[in-house]
Amino acid sequence: MVSVRCDAEFIAKATAAGGEIVRLSDLGNALAFALDFLKQQDIKAVAFAPDVPLPSAGTETWPLLKPRSREDYLAAGAGLVRADYGVSSTGTLVHLDRSADEKIVWTLPPLCLCLLDSRRIVRDLDDISAVLSSHLSEAAFGEPQVSLVTGPSRTTDIECRLTLGVHGPGRLVILLHDGQAS
Amino acid sequence: MKKIDPQLRRVLREFSKSYLLKREDAFAGMDFEELRTELAEIKDRALSKCRELCAQFEAKAREKGAKVHHAANGAEANRLVHSILKGHGAEFLVKSKSMVSEETRLNEYLFRKGIEVRETDLGEWIMQLAGEPPTHMVLPAIHLTRKDVAQIFSRRLGKEVPDDIPALVEVARDELRREISRAGAGLTGANALIAENGSIMLVTNEGNGRIVSIMPPLRIVLASIEKVVPATKDALLLLKVLPRNATGQKITSYVSFIAPSPQQDLHLILLDNHRSEILADPLFREILRCIKCSACLNVCPVYQMVGGKRYAYIYMGGIGTLLTAWIHGLGESAELADFCLGCHRCEAFCATKIRIADLVIALRERLNREAGKPFWKRVAFDGVLAHPALTQVLFSSGRASRRVVAREKGFARNLPPPLGRYDRFRALPSPAPKSLTQRVRETLPQEQAGGRAARIVLFGGCLVEHFYPEVGLDALRVLTRLGYDARPAEPCCCGFPAANSGFRSSALKTFRRLMEGLEGAEAVLTLCPTCTTMLIRLGPDLMRTEKARNLAQKVVPFSRFLLEREKSRLQGLLSSRPLANSVTYHDSCHHKHVLGASRESREILEIVLGKKLQEMDEPDACCGFAGSFSISHPEVSESLLEGKLESIRKAEAQVVALDCPGCLLQIRGGCERKKENIEVKHTAQVLAERLCQKR
Repeated sequence: MVSVRCDAEFIAKATAAGGEIVRLSDLGNALAFALDFLKQQDIKAVAFAPDVPLPSAGTETWPLLKPRSREDYLAAGAGLVRADYGVSSTGTLVHLDRSADEKIVWTLPPLCLCLLDSRRIVRDLDDISAVLSSHLSEAAFGEPQVSLVTGPSRTTDIECRLTLGVHGPGRLVILLHDGQAS
Repeated sequence: MKKIDPQLRRVLREFSKSYLLKREDAFAGMDFEELRTELAEIKDRALSKCRELCAQFEAKAREKGAKVHHAANGAEANRLVHSILKGHGAEFLVKSKSMVSEETRLNEYLFRKGIEVRETDLGEWIMQLAGEPPTHMVLPAIHLTRKDVAQIFSRRLGKEVPDDIPALVEVARDELRREISRAGAGLTGANALIAENGSIMLVTNEGNGRIVSIMPPLRIVLASIEKVVPATKDALLLLKVLPRNATGQKITSYVSFIAPSPQQDLHLILLDNHRSEILADPLFREILRCIKCSACLNVCPVYQMVGGKRYAYIYMGGIGTLLTAWIHGLGESAELADFCLGCHRCEAFCATKIRIADLVIALRERLNREAGKPFWKRVAFDGVLAHPALTQVLFSSGRASRRVVAREKGFARNLPPPLGRYDRFRALPSPAPKSLTQRVRETLPQEQAGGRAARIVLFGGCLVEHFYPEVGLDALRVLTRLGYDARPAEPCCCGFPAANSGFRSSALKTFRRLMEGLEGAEAVLTLCPTCTTMLIRLGPDLMRTEKARNLAQKVVPFSRFLLEREKSRLQGLLSSRPLANSVTYHDSCHHKHVLGASRESREILEIVLGKKLQEMDEPDACCGFAGSFSISHPEVSESLLEGKLESIRKAEAQVVALDCPGCLLQIRGGCERKKENIEVKHTAQVLAERLCQKR
């Protein structure tokens, strides 16, 4: 599905949209990087989306948020999420949502850390149009939705000047890795 | 007379410039023409099956657990929203941007019913705090400065807020977050309703669409029925075009496809509000293709001058005029219909190829029929121009009055008071001592003038006939030099001024007479792109006859005719006089956007000049003439002319070449008033100078 060119294009376009890309060899390293990064940023509470493949052991050191209500998510300093696909022509992250909590983790915290497997980068949205369509058509479970995220939240509503971080995260860090270490 | 706000004008012009650059970048490597043709077709097909698709959408949505409601009109939509809120005990509603909710005046209604409403789109929230409607469909507060916004925030939030943009955005973010978390309900619009799976597509940059549709327990979507498309892939095509055309982005920061599910408390309201009536009208139906990208606003010379406070009812600009006429009433659209310059620039950028300018003319016709005709236009169009004999008398007396309304360098002086205000910012020409027809009879011997049987007929139009006969004579001279058998047409108004103002029958009177006079010609060469527009497009559209269509086939702009036929010969015929002056070119609106002849004019000019043209900034910016527009909106006309003169000055050219006598009038008149030492010439005059012996 992916070629080296797609990788490079994705990085270029996602960066142009205001995202920050970190290139890592595998998922394990990506998660380790994420933990380090959160510590450096002094994040006290990180929300994680249910579909993030956290390691089975060793997460005691993570400042994980345990939300009881949606409002609790407002206290999160960062969100850790996972994208299903990347689209290189626009630098877009694609997520097939299954629950409302996933969308909240992507959207509420001011910093969003997103894991993306480089083998799941496609060139164009048209390439996964059938996947999107079938996800939306699936028999109702949770909240089937599709989210396309390109860069941090932005606005040019005042004097047409760009400012990042309105309703969504002001900072989007994409951890691009090549899958599970063999 | 209303004044143009220079600050607003500056902001809107800068925005337009940067938008055009970003847009070009966003569409790089793509074929915009192909994309918008495809999108227009998809929209048309969806519109032709609108009822069916809405039914399919509804069935799918219900299947998945959404509640679907139908609102016949705005009042019903508002009532529905209120009853849904009341049914859930929700007293505070947060909204993501929705033009449809502006259309129904939802906020006002809910406020009267005791429901608190908060806009979350930053621009919309600012306007809500300011207590005013948005002035642009995508950037609602585009007309405000940071100082304005800081003042609004300070006043309404009860605390001092610095006028620093990041600080303002942070204030907004914090305030709105608090609101969103306490809201009992969230309402969004939809950029598309997808029939095959009952979902909606929502695009935003801020992320407020997402937040509003996930945080509050109760969700409402309010969308008008023409938003429905058959499949997800159609929505993806829309997604390809919308952000690029709206803001010059390849994609917005957030795109959400929201499918219903039993876990959500989701209510979908499908609004008609006159859409069915529009669908049933074969002429105006295409306005429902509109995807609300606002590209038309971004390139509209008038919108750039006056903004959305003046050029809007709820919907803005040219497309806004059309939507307003149907949705809010003919009367509400009357003033807006007057604002359209008829430059057709919007049509070049419309994401779905809506013929906005043409439809505004058709709207004017309806307005005349139903709301009555303005007096001065009745005199001008039904009275004078519809009667060629009367027109001749008027211009002859104009010529005769030269002694009183003194003629100096071709300009009218000492105009009596009612006319005087129209030449304040640009000198008006006085009628030429002899019309083109009179000059031709005297100047050129009968053989050279071609006689009645000549194959090529030159149609200069009224301005050339009565004010600038030298342009017509130069064109004939060039044609003779190249060996053509050409004669000028019998003078007759083409009917455009009347047609443009919606005076269809008067327009057709003179148009028919012109057609008779042009019978038998093998080719009709034109010197005025507006007359050409009448001959090839507006006239045949109004007449709908084979005869009119056949005539249209024979019509070709003068420069295009010569370039197509004589390109290789021109080099050899050039005068050897060296050319010292630098020449720039002004793209007349109809010449560029309707006839697509700008490239040809530049090419032929560069051939005969023997060098490249000195391009000015925004050569296709409207000069502000636009016929009767410069009389009904002199302040906009003046402002546009000022911009044009500034561009010409900056280009440091001694000569401006152009292909439209109307632009010639406007720009020459402006140069005269500003004492600019710049020569303004029709392309035919430049060609005559370079190809013919000095007379």
